[in-house]
Amino acid sequence: MINYDIILNAVGEHLLLAYSALLISIIIAIPLAVLSLYNRYLASILLVFANLIQAVPSFAVVAIVVPFLGIGFKPAIFAIILRIILPLFKNTFTGLKDVDFIYIDSARGIGLNQLEILRYIRFPHAFPAIFAGIKFSAIIANSVAILTSLIGAGGLGELIFEGLTNFNIPKVLTGAIPAIMIAVLLDISFSLIEKRISLKY
Amino acid sequence: MIVQVWKNQQLTIKTIEHLSMVFVALLFIIAIGITIGIFLYNKKNLSGIVLNLLNVIETIPELVLLVILMPFFGIGYKPTMIASILYSILPVARNTYVGLIQVDKQYLESARAMGLQEREILWNIRIPLALPMIAAGIRIAIVFTMGVITLGGLIAAGGLGGPIQTGIHLYDKDIILVTGLWIGILAVLVDSIGSLIEKILNRKYGYD
Repeated sequence: MINYDIILNAVGEHLLLAYSALLISIIIAIPLAVLSLYNRYLASILLVFANLIQAVPSFAVVAIVVPFLGIGFKPAIFAIILRIILPLFKNTFTGLKDVDFIYIDSARGIGLNQLEILRYIRFPHAFPAIFAGIKFSAIIANSVAILTSLIGAGGLGELIFEGLTNFNIPKVLTGAIPAIMIAVLLDISFSLIEKRISLKY
Repeated sequence: MIVQVWKNQQLTIKTIEHLSMVFVALLFIIAIGITIGIFLYNKKNLSGIVLNLLNVIETIPELVLLVILMPFFGIGYKPTMIASILYSILPVARNTYVGLIQVDKQYLESARAMGLQEREILWNIRIPLALPMIAAGIRIAIVFTMGVITLGGLIAAGGLGGPIQTGIHLYDKDIILVTGLWIGILAVLVDSIGSLIEKILNRKYGYD
C-alpha cells in the first residue's frame, strides 16, 4: 500500500530544497556579517530588518514570494532563504562583534592586521554563536520546506497536501512522519556537534 | 485594489477572528507554561526530561504538527489551537524555570535572613524577579502562535490564513499580496506590543 519509491523521492526533494537554501543563506550571510563589522549603517539596517522579519509568519513569507517570482522550485528556495538569512546574519554578526576587547587589543599589540584578527581571533570566538544560528536555521528551513509544497515545490509537503485535499490520513502521514524524523535527527546531531564545539572553543 | 481585496475577502472579520484565536491560545500557553515552569522548579530532576520533550515538539515543522493532530481532533479550530499551544509552551516554561532558578543569591540570602519561608520566597522574591524573563518567553510564544494560527487557514480554522490559501489556489496576486503584507504588518505590530511590555517589566524588575 505504501509506495516507498514515492516517499524516498519526496525525502530527496525535500532535503535538496531545504539544504540548498540553507547553504546559499550561509554563503551570503557570513560575508554580510563580516562587512557589517566595518560598516555601522549596514549593520544597523540589517539588524532592524532581522528583528522585524523574525515576527512574520512563514506562511506569509511563502505567499508574498508568489506574486513576484511565480511558483515552483526556485521561488520556494527564495522563500526559505528569506526566512532564514536574517537570523543567520544576526547570530554571526553578534558572535563576531561580542569578542572581548582585550583579545582584539592584544592581537593588535602583537602586530596582527585586520584580516588576521578576523581569522584567528574573531571567527574562533564566534564559532559557537554561528553554529547555534545554523542549527536554528536548519530547523526552520526544514519547516518552511514543507510549506513551500503549497507553491509547487514538491517534496514531503506535497504528500501532505495531496492527502489533505481528499482527507486521506495515511497519505498525510507518509509525508508527516519522515518530516518529523528529519527534524528530530537534525536536532540530535546538531546538538552533539554543538557540544563538541563548545568544548573546543 | 487594496479596498477591493479587503472587502471581497472580508479581511476585517478575518483579522478579528485571527487575533481572538491568538489571544485565547496565548491565555492557555501562559497558564500552562508558567505552571510547568513552577512545577519544574519544585521538581528539578524532572526538568531535563520535560524540557527536552517540549524541545522535540518544537523542532517538528508547524504544518506537520498541525496535520498529525487531525486524526485525533478533525479539522478546523480545535487542532489549530492545540497545535499552537503545544508549539509555544516551551519558551514560556523554559524561561519561567530559568528565571526562577537564576535569581541572584543576595536577594535570597536577605529574604532568608528576614525569616521568609521557601514558599514565601518563591512568590514574593523569585516570581517577581523572574517576570522579565517570563515576558521574553511569552514574546517568543506570541510570534510562534501567530505563525501556527496563520497556517490553521489551511485546515479551515478561519483567520487570515484562509484568504492566502484562496489567493494561492486561484493564483490571484492581489489577494496574496494584500493579505500577505497585512499579516506581516500585523505580526510586527503585535510583536512590538510584546517588546514594549517586556521593556516595562525589565525596568520595574530587571537587574540593571
